[in-house]
Amino acid sequence: MNRRDEANRTICEINACINLLYSSPCDETRNNILNYLGCKVYDLYLINNLDGTLLPTAAMTANALPLSNSRQFTKEELSAFNGKNGNPAYVAVNGTVYDVTNNAAWGAATHFGLSAGNDLTAQFNSCHAGQPILEKLPIVGKMI
Amino acid sequence: MATANNGYYNIIGSMDGKPLTALAAVKFLGARASHVIAVGACAVHGGVSAAKPNPAGCVSVASVLQRKVIQLPGCPCHPDWFTGTLAHLLLYGDPELDRRNRPVMFYSQTIHDRCERRSFFDKGIFAKKLGDGACMFKLGCRGPITPIDCPIRKWNGHVNWPVGSSTPCIGCAQFGFPDQMEPFISYDVSKAEE
Ligand code: SF4
Repeated sequence: MNRRDEANRTICEINACINLLYSSPCDETRNNILNYLGCKVYDLYLINNLDGTLLPTAAMTANALPLSNSRQFTKEELSAFNGKNGNPAYVAVNGTVYDVTNNAAWGAATHFGLSAGNDLTAQFNSCHAGQPILEKLPIVGKMI
Repeated sequence: MATANNGYYNIIGSMDGKPLTALAAVKFLGARASHVIAVGACAVHGGVSAAKPNPAGCVSVASVLQRKVIQLPGCPCHPDWFTGTLAHLLLYGDPELDRRNRPVMFYSQTIHDRCERRSFFDKGIFAKKLGDGACMFKLGCRGPITPIDCPIRKWNGHVNWPVGSSTPCIGCAQFGFPDQMEPFISYDVSKAEE
């Protein structure tokens, strides 16, 4: 979709939201719609202010697969991937190294007091055992 | 709940001429009440009172009572979350709770789910400093791990909320706040400008 189409579609959605606002009796629904309108206004700002060619591509999003996933890491090598100064953020669990650079739960490369660049096997197992979390993370390699 | 030194770090009044500790009051009233609601981070999981090094030995209300406690984490707890829960109890009985005993009517969706800057996150456009109009994920935003309704409820009479004034969510309504939500802000994540 080009920029103009995207803007037009967003404007249509904004219009539909405004119509909905007139007909919703409940505060909670109205707040939800207002919140959605706020999001759409930000969308318009984005469409208007960013050069389409500069928009980051799928490669930057959390689910993108890394180019290679066979790298071997020592503990020291892993510690360099701490998410600081533009470096990627990696963590090791059960011998596998995962990329959490753009994982939403890892704001500023930290997560519930833990930092990227470490082997977090014990912490993972005590909090997330049995949860389908690792399957969704891109793998970058293995610990030696 | 301060537990060190038999709770004497937190005296809330006197009873029968003796000082009454919060610990004793909660144990006494908690055993007899029809419902117990823990309001705010300190009551729910220790919060700021239990932050390291926790000299007063603070713990959650639930850990000193052997019963169900409705949990309203938040620092502070929004008045709506408390009055809404209380009104629900009075009018309709027990509200639906999640697995950590938080009312789902307030705590079911994360901040990140309804954040107005979400499209910036999805496109990978991140703020490098406070005041930048983009997603504050790289500054350490805790919105993605904090389930609460701030984006639609807002604060101070529904006027604004942290992301609306360009400051990242610090996860005050998540268990473990403040210690586990630190650092609240990081300026060393994005690549330094050449
Ligand atoms: S500012 Fe925070 S809550 Fe909003 S989109 Fe970014 S990470 Fe999510």
